[in-house]
Amino acid sequence: MILEVTVNGERVQKEIEPRITLLEFLRQTLHLKGTKEGCGLGDCGTCIVLVDGKPVNSCLMLAIDAKGRQVTTIEGLSKEGDLDPVQKGFIEKGAVQCGFCTPAMILSAKALLAQNPAAEEEEIKQALSGVLCRCGSYKKIIEAIESVKK
Amino acid sequence: MKRLKHFAYFEPASIKEAVETLTEEDGAFPLAGGTDLLVRMKRGEIHPAALVNLKHIRNLKKIKSESGNGTTIGALASISDIQGSPVIRAKHPLLVQAAGVVGAPSIRNLATLGGNIGRASPASDMSPSLMILQARILTEGPKGKREVGMNEIFAGPGTTTLSKTEFITAFYIPEPSPHTGTAYLKLGRRTGGGDCALVGVATLLTVENDEAGAVGIALSSVGPTPVRALKAEEVLMSGPLDDERLKETARAAAGEINPISDHRCSAAYRREMVKVLTYRALIESLQKARGGLPG
Repeated sequence: MILEVTVNGERVQKEIEPRITLLEFLRQTLHLKGTKEGCGLGDCGTCIVLVDGKPVNSCLMLAIDAKGRQVTTIEGLSKEGDLDPVQKGFIEKGAVQCGFCTPAMILSAKALLAQNPAAEEEEIKQALSGVLCRCGSYKKIIEAIESVKK
Repeated sequence: MKRLKHFAYFEPASIKEAVETLTEEDGAFPLAGGTDLLVRMKRGEIHPAALVNLKHIRNLKKIKSESGNGTTIGALASISDIQGSPVIRAKHPLLVQAAGVVGAPSIRNLATLGGNIGRASPASDMSPSLMILQARILTEGPKGKREVGMNEIFAGPGTTTLSKTEFITAFYIPEPSPHTGTAYLKLGRRTGGGDCALVGVATLLTVENDEAGAVGIALSSVGPTPVRALKAEEVLMSGPLDDERLKETARAAAGEINPISDHRCSAAYRREMVKVLTYRALIESLQKARGGLPG
């Protein structure tokens, strides 16, 4: 099947099998390795990307269902080499430990702040509730998001 | 990387075409949000020979309310759609409350109401609320359209009374009565949802002259299917709505269920939590019905 989709602002068109998940498409077809596979079953959230601005578990979505939609991965946040403010906040606050959950944390935060630029701490926690960080750096992750919100 | 095995793939454009494909293709499963189906496929629990993707059928996501004539929610409406719908918030805030504790936001953006009910999970967070709102399930299959009550849909854990070639197209919820308060309280190991319910309690209370005019109590994760607590409802209807009546109702709910012990918690703990949460949900419902709280 032909999949036409916009990934990080660029239109791509690829022949794919229907059984390919969006996660496999991003990592193996487009070689965008910023999106991670943790459990592959929707529990850990490390595969979260934005589809039309909303966070989804890319391991539980068929790539074909992204047809005609806008997909944003962690690779799509920086502009001309300049990191996104949330990315900068993560670096400044030391919110990245092993880094495996970081793309999903940052994208979940981006989706929240796009809707609610002045989100309260409780709302930040809710927005991140689908992503597990096994280093346990939640506190610094929340501080990083607090530091860049309006 | 966890991969899906090969399957034949169909994108019907109409309900009729979907029913035909489900009938003609051996081992075909309908695909809605995929948050449960794809997990079971990856785990090797099921091996669909074909997936019939329902997302391209027009109007299956629609949420609409006609004044005085009830609310219809398309089966493919996502849990987030329900959580964010101004129509649902105005008419049935109970569903907004329940939708807010289903999985995590990234799951709610994919998962659908039809899938949540069609999966027939004993732990479904949406079922107890739909039960007490007297929701009707609209289905379509080779024999045509059918309406099924929420109390007739579940056959056992993971199984429904629908045939393999029949699927849910929408939910119809009648108009709410005035002076009605509702609540859905979920006990999980994490606050604010994200995980499977240890116990879920939905309550509905319509207050007339300080007595219960209509009531509903339904529970999840306490038996093979979500259930109405009918004896507890009788207790609640049997006299003035004082604190002792609410407590007796909660005790009755805990007494009439048959929970199991599993890796999540023990049967005794579930029973105790049904008592605690039923009482709290009734207090919340009563406050809302009397206008002290919105919803």
